[in-house]
Amino acid sequence: MAGRGPVREVRLWDPLLRAFHWLLTFFVIAGWCLGQFGPARMTLHFWCGYVVAGLLVFRLIWGFVGPPPARFSHFIRGPGAIAGYMRGMFLRQPSHWPGHNPLGALSVIAMLAVLAAQVTSGLISDPDDYINVGPLASYVSSATRSKAVGWHNLGASLILVLVLLHVAMILFYRFWKREDLVRPMITGRKQVRED
Amino acid sequence: MRLILTAAALAAVPLASLAQDDPVAQAVEARHGFYQMLAINMGTLSGMAKGEIAYDEAAASRAAANIEALTQYDLPSLFIEGSSSADADDSAAKPDIWNNPDEFGTKFAGLQAAATGVSGAVKGGAENVGPVVGKLGEACKACHDVFREKS
Repeated sequence: MAGRGPVREVRLWDPLLRAFHWLLTFFVIAGWCLGQFGPARMTLHFWCGYVVAGLLVFRLIWGFVGPPPARFSHFIRGPGAIAGYMRGMFLRQPSHWPGHNPLGALSVIAMLAVLAAQVTSGLISDPDDYINVGPLASYVSSATRSKAVGWHNLGASLILVLVLLHVAMILFYRFWKREDLVRPMITGRKQVRED
Repeated sequence: MRLILTAAALAAVPLASLAQDDPVAQAVEARHGFYQMLAINMGTLSGMAKGEIAYDEAAASRAAANIEALTQYDLPSLFIEGSSSADADDSAAKPDIWNNPDEFGTKFAGLQAAATGVSGAVKGGAENVGPVVGKLGEACKACHDVFREKS
């Protein structure tokens, strides 16, 4: 747990990070649904991918130069810290954690990595339909651009799993631990325990 | 060691000639040839639609006529038993084709329908090629999405 000190409300998530989060939410869902159920000519799906790519670049930079809670160095922790966090995880009380907790950090990294891989495989995909060829497909071998379609499909399944896990954990915090994690991502303010 | 290698090489010779007589290998090879011919002509049209190849009415119409002719071939007849990706090494045809032959036939009929009249439709200017590529591409995608292995 994060210290034993008193709980107080702080400004945790900065406005750009919150904007990043909700834009990513929108464009990942839109891109995923357009990919699965959208029109055969996937122009809008492509644009969702480009926006996601831009958002990921922002997040990568923000992870080094943003405010402390946004920085990778602030929330990426070792196995000891993760195990320590998990020991208290099922207590029916809010974590009051000041940022991404050590276990949640793994989910953050997994989502960013899978989305980056998804954007990459999409850019080099050639599904042999002459209408939805990734803009960078001509820069890789024909075997690679064909395989990329398979990786892109696999990536879609991984994204679904990670997003469902993310939502499930938020519900777990909300109803089991009685801690609302959605509101802080909207207002930026969160109850945290002081060290 | 040398003896083993020689024996293995000799043993492979009848196998290789056998493969040429194997109806499954023939069917898979014929399918790949079919798609290759389709790809060459689609490549011409798609290049012209994107402006990567200079528009040439005769060349565009010839490529489109080739596609139209190719789709008149009874392609589903080449999807013989034992030639799915589960049975043949170099096949990308999902076993679902054999589970849903009617749906597979419908997809191919969709390509035939999309290809009907394209040799005339691409005439008159580069701007007429894009819609044809789009229509044909949608038919490609409709079938690839369901019946083609993705790797």
